[in-house]
Amino acid sequence: MFIWVSAGLWYFVACAIAAAGQKPSSPHARVEMLARQDAIVAGADLRLGVHFILEPGWHIYWINPGDSGQPPVLKWQLPAGFSAGEIEWPHPERMQATPQLADYGYHDAVLLPVTVHVPPSVAAGSSVQIGADAKWLVCREVCIPEHAQLHLTLPIATAAKENPQSARLFAKTEKLLPRPMPRGWKASAKSEKDQFVLLLQAGKPITKAEFFPLEPNQIDNPAPLKLLPSATGVKIMLKKSDLLVKPIQMLRGVLVLPGGAAYRIEAPVQ
Amino acid sequence: MKTLRHSMVRAIFLLALMASAFAVKVGDPAPGFTGVDSNGKQQSLSAYKGKFVVLEWHNQGCPYTKKHYESGNMQRLQKEWTAKGVVWLTVISSAPGTQGFVTPTQENEYLQKMNAMPTAVIMDPGGSLGHLYAAKTTPHMFVIDPSGTLIYNGAIDDHSTSDQSDIVNSKNYVSTALQEAMSGKPVTEAATRPYGCSVKYKD
Repeated sequence: MFIWVSAGLWYFVACAIAAAGQKPSSPHARVEMLARQDAIVAGADLRLGVHFILEPGWHIYWINPGDSGQPPVLKWQLPAGFSAGEIEWPHPERMQATPQLADYGYHDAVLLPVTVHVPPSVAAGSSVQIGADAKWLVCREVCIPEHAQLHLTLPIATAAKENPQSARLFAKTEKLLPRPMPRGWKASAKSEKDQFVLLLQAGKPITKAEFFPLEPNQIDNPAPLKLLPSATGVKIMLKKSDLLVKPIQMLRGVLVLPGGAAYRIEAPVQ
Repeated sequence: MKTLRHSMVRAIFLLALMASAFAVKVGDPAPGFTGVDSNGKQQSLSAYKGKFVVLEWHNQGCPYTKKHYESGNMQRLQKEWTAKGVVWLTVISSAPGTQGFVTPTQENEYLQKMNAMPTAVIMDPGGSLGHLYAAKTTPHMFVIDPSGTLIYNGAIDDHSTSDQSDIVNSKNYVSTALQEAMSGKPVTEAATRPYGCSVKYKD
């Protein structure tokens, strides 16, 4: 139900020509398109994903890559009437090689899920090919742009089952996707001179957390987070970015708690 | 003598670092610096008071730097703006042993091969100038006005990719900032997220 694609070919050809005598590097990511189900059903959403398996030590980037880098881009080739949603980004990890620079991304492997809307008019019995042109930047000490043309063919049926080969990976990934804040939580932020103070009221103390800003240029990425836990939540001090020149209305980000629960934070800024 | 000069340069950097408290904000005075260029000449920001100065962080191995050099885009900008009296300082902060580190001779060969036309290339293998400006990526661009105020900090343009084919559809932030400032207007987009490879600092 899926195929492997090796990637980044044009770049390596270009490199090989530019640096005559040097062996072309091998790609640093294997990339595949996966479906959670084994078939397409008319009018039902289809859960697809692009799965990156990275060479040890290499990483790709989150939607906000931080101080350097670039997130993967997918361009879908879909049959008439189909449409693809946005990438749902699992929460990232912080990647900080030096005290001055911090990036947000993924090591080892990551699945980037997307929901594809299937029109009610498709007829059972045939099959459909879905394509995507994927571009990504993969980095270790150095960065390499790679790309691949991905394909997946699925039958159209009246009912679909989970694909046993991919369903576990999708289920694992869903847990990494940021959810709305739990009911009863409140987020607000105060703009002070050089920092934002993010106040989270959770009805319980939060003693450890990570915060990943969704917008670039708001937070100084490498600055260590300062947490001030209280009985009912936490205050998180976030140093402002040098690149922040206008006041902001909303501080958006992803909060990750020990154990991996991730929440979308939208804090109005006073 | 050489060590003396070296320690003087270091002292200047340290003083500037302390004064700036690691912040380079648009609208603030651009931190002063002195460095040595690929021809062994001393380059000081203060010597260019009264002129516009562009700082370009550079790493010849980085795909994003290559995008702008292999297409000739960076050289076009250097030629256009230096012809209009702008001082263009390319800075290399790659540490020895990292991508983009070059000796002065190698850099001069590269400039000739690429027909690059910066005013000078400052060799910053220790990373002090990079840290002084908090340069994050290659390329990362800064524009300083004739009064010494930082008027632009960020990306070279609005297409954060490594594809040369995107350049034609890009809005160049450096040119826009220079055009606006030269015609007496405030810079509309004065701070953007720089894009590219991380600067390969020693620490």
